[in-house]
Amino acid sequence: MIDLRRAGRRYGEHWAVRDIDLTIQRGEMFGIVGTDGAGKTTLLQLCAALLDPTEGRCTVLGYDTVRESKAVTSRIGYMSQGFTLYDRLSVAENLRFSAGLRNLSAREFTDRSQRLLDMAGLREFESRLAGKLSGGMRKKLALCLNLIHEPDLLILDEPGLGVDPLSRRELWRMLEAFRERGVTVVVASSYMDEAERCDRVLLLQMGHPIGTDRPEALRLAVAGRVYEIVTNDPTRVAGELSSRYSAQGIQVLPDRVRFQHGSTEAPGPDPRLDSMGARTADATLEDLFVFHSNEHAEPFAAWGELPNVETPGAIEADDVSVTFGGFRAVDHVSLVAEPGTLLALLGPNGAGKTTLIRALCGLQPISSGEARIAGTPVTTAATSVRQRIGYMSQRFSLYPDLTVGENMEFFAAAYGLTGSASESAIFRARALTGLEPVAPGTRVEAMSGATRQRLALACSVLHEPAVLFLDEPTSGVDPLSRFRFWQLIRALASAGMVIVVTTHYLEEARYCDRIGLMDRGRLIALGSLPELRRQTASGDTDSVETVFLNALRRPGVAPS
Amino acid sequence: MKPARVITLIGKEGRELIRDPITLGLCAVMPLIMLFLFGYAVNLDVENVAMGVYDEDRTPASRDLTERFAATDYFDLRRTFGSLGELEKAMQQGEIRLALIVPRNFHRHLLEGAPAPTQILVDGSYPAIAALAGAYAEAIVSAFPRPRPSAIQPQVRVWYNPSMRSSHYIVPGLFAVILMAFPPLLTALAIVREKETGTISQIFASPATSAEFVAGKLVPYGVVAFFEIVMVVAIGTLWFDVPFRGSVLLFLAAAMIYVLTTVAIGLLVSAVTSTQLSAMLLALVVTLMPSFLFSGFLFPVFTMPLALQIYSQLFPATYFTEISRGIVLKGAGIDSLALPVSLLFLYTLVIFAIATRRLRQKVA
Repeated sequence: MIDLRRAGRRYGEHWAVRDIDLTIQRGEMFGIVGTDGAGKTTLLQLCAALLDPTEGRCTVLGYDTVRESKAVTSRIGYMSQGFTLYDRLSVAENLRFSAGLRNLSAREFTDRSQRLLDMAGLREFESRLAGKLSGGMRKKLALCLNLIHEPDLLILDEPGLGVDPLSRRELWRMLEAFRERGVTVVVASSYMDEAERCDRVLLLQMGHPIGTDRPEALRLAVAGRVYEIVTNDPTRVAGELSSRYSAQGIQVLPDRVRFQHGSTEAPGPDPRLDSMGARTADATLEDLFVFHSNEHAEPFAAWGELPNVETPGAIEADDVSVTFGGFRAVDHVSLVAEPGTLLALLGPNGAGKTTLIRALCGLQPISSGEARIAGTPVTTAATSVRQRIGYMSQRFSLYPDLTVGENMEFFAAAYGLTGSASESAIFRARALTGLEPVAPGTRVEAMSGATRQRLALACSVLHEPAVLFLDEPTSGVDPLSRFRFWQLIRALASAGMVIVVTTHYLEEARYCDRIGLMDRGRLIALGSLPELRRQTASGDTDSVETVFLNALRRPGVAPS
Repeated sequence: MKPARVITLIGKEGRELIRDPITLGLCAVMPLIMLFLFGYAVNLDVENVAMGVYDEDRTPASRDLTERFAATDYFDLRRTFGSLGELEKAMQQGEIRLALIVPRNFHRHLLEGAPAPTQILVDGSYPAIAALAGAYAEAIVSAFPRPRPSAIQPQVRVWYNPSMRSSHYIVPGLFAVILMAFPPLLTALAIVREKETGTISQIFASPATSAEFVAGKLVPYGVVAFFEIVMVVAIGTLWFDVPFRGSVLLFLAAAMIYVLTTVAIGLLVSAVTSTQLSAMLLALVVTLMPSFLFSGFLFPVFTMPLALQIYSQLFPATYFTEISRGIVLKGAGIDSLALPVSLLFLYTLVIFAIATRRLRQKVA
């Protein structure tokens, strides 16, 4: 179906992907897995004949993608990232448009569109405007648009991104149904659980393939090289581990430390590990990326002194609602987070996570209820409250044309730090976030996603806040940097901060002490992961996503 | 190009446009706002210029001359002065803009048939008005009846715009500028929006070709632009009393070509930009600004330095201003406008070719 020979694509001086040799068989479900910026989209666009390779050759369905691109595009379905629908057209009109582009007869169209709409559960929404559908429904409709001409090959770019867990499951069910009919599916993903569903996966790291095989076979290659230590003081254990032992990566979870063994030779019994109570853990595909990284986990102690939170305070929401017109974005939410805790707010796009955070910060007027930080209502004393809050927004709101130093100086000034106070705050924040090797004169636009993430964090802790809000902090960051980021967050919590994190990567919540599940403005469950598993009658090892789905099924929570 | 696919694309674009009442409303209202704003604000007419008189003669003839000034709409007689000094002071303070000085013996010289000099002083700080007001004043003086007329009497007559009203001159030029302001912007935004939402890659990942895609944008926005020009011309000529001397059919045919030019420029803008903001700014810079300056809508092109005259030929608004004024004011036929019309046509074809090439198949 697809045959790539030493294919590569360059933008300016930068190779987005290079040296890709790939053969995908008819009927395969093939995954291309990597973080944002790894080159997944470029690779898919090469396969969809939307991009010409700079070097090498791409043959799809027997056609050359450069010379016979129209032959390729008329026979495949390509679903790009995001929500590529016409919002002002109805569901049926979007479908008819897609069919019209492909010259379907009226009868074919009626048959197929009805079948597809039934399958996607969109039949009753046929006349609704696409812009008025939920994220999950939009994604399913986008899939239908690409299936209307019954292609033999379906190429999908991050189908599950930002979609609620229920819709994501339905989406995958549709894909599997088509695969059973012989359709070849190529899917790019940054979710490891999606990768596990594929027959074979290509792991992509910074444009280079680091392995192509069945997921089990890939995991087997690193079996026995991943360990975990169960403990109730993971920060201390991680510190000890990093000082005594060279690990490739260290993950600090609330109840355990998980780490990847540094050496490449076959692992044998290691008395040092045994003495720390380490035992082997099940390897995941994410671990493979860690082993293929040419970086190592930084020694824990390398980080500078932790910020000095003068008066730690809890954050409390008491029956908080936020309404926009008739729409209730946050619906009667109550929660408390004590100093030293990491609280994760989970939910799909549009669940109300960001609005809730903005309400708790005093950036968003509260319609009813009250939010307090260390006992002070955020609405009445907004300015004094803001001085105690750090906020790192989605997409790391930095000034890309300014340098590292200029960004930090700007944010220090914004928090009222001047002169030597500003200088020492910047010095400490740089040390804390490991930014010392980055020259202060580096412009932000020239930095990688992981470095930007750390700079954004450094900017948000300059004034040593009591409460730190992180809105989607880990998007676009490779696994090793993510591990490091979570260690740092954990360390900040141990200094007495309350940290509230939102994310739509549900599995990221495993790093947090408490998890709040949000759905359409409501907080449907709150507790530690084991507590949530119990509350929702889930199994002891069930994933966060399964827990979420079980929580949605509980009485009183079901979609209205 | 498959007609069925083009129709699908046009249908989609049309539906989207109709369901966007704000954009549609702006399409209708913005050109009208611009028409009225410029139709009224850009007024180079001379009316009620404050004037003063210093009459040293004090005879029936000198009083008659003064009254002839006061009787026109052009001048407003504010004051008569007793001395030259007073007059100078009033002029300096801006109390009057024009002064008539009738010297002693004006009446006697007239009767004797000798030259009877009068002096007209004009405040030159507003050059455009000074020149016109001076000319009017001169005309009044030279039309003053005298017993023995001089041998040569120039008879100046202004053609096409005999009353020299600036709206007759501004409004037909505005047609060109208004059409250059909105349709390119609208077209560019419509395409760049698809780039932003990513729907364009969905189309390019289908059998549709870029020519079909372009045609699918061109037709709906061409229709909107055509309606705009019909509306602006109808309201412009009726409201501002601009006589429409030429053939309406010829005008509409030329407008059709011009409409395609403007939409094509929008296509070109969208081909080189990727965000709606940059498309908007670029559209402003390549369409609106040059068409204001170089189309001859306000400032005559033939008085510009040669380099700028050549430069102005790069902008299609220049041709349409010429066509529009030619048909509306001069009643010109196709024979005298063949050159600008065919140049406009050629222009459109070239821009289309470039835009379609730039927006070709591949994403990058």
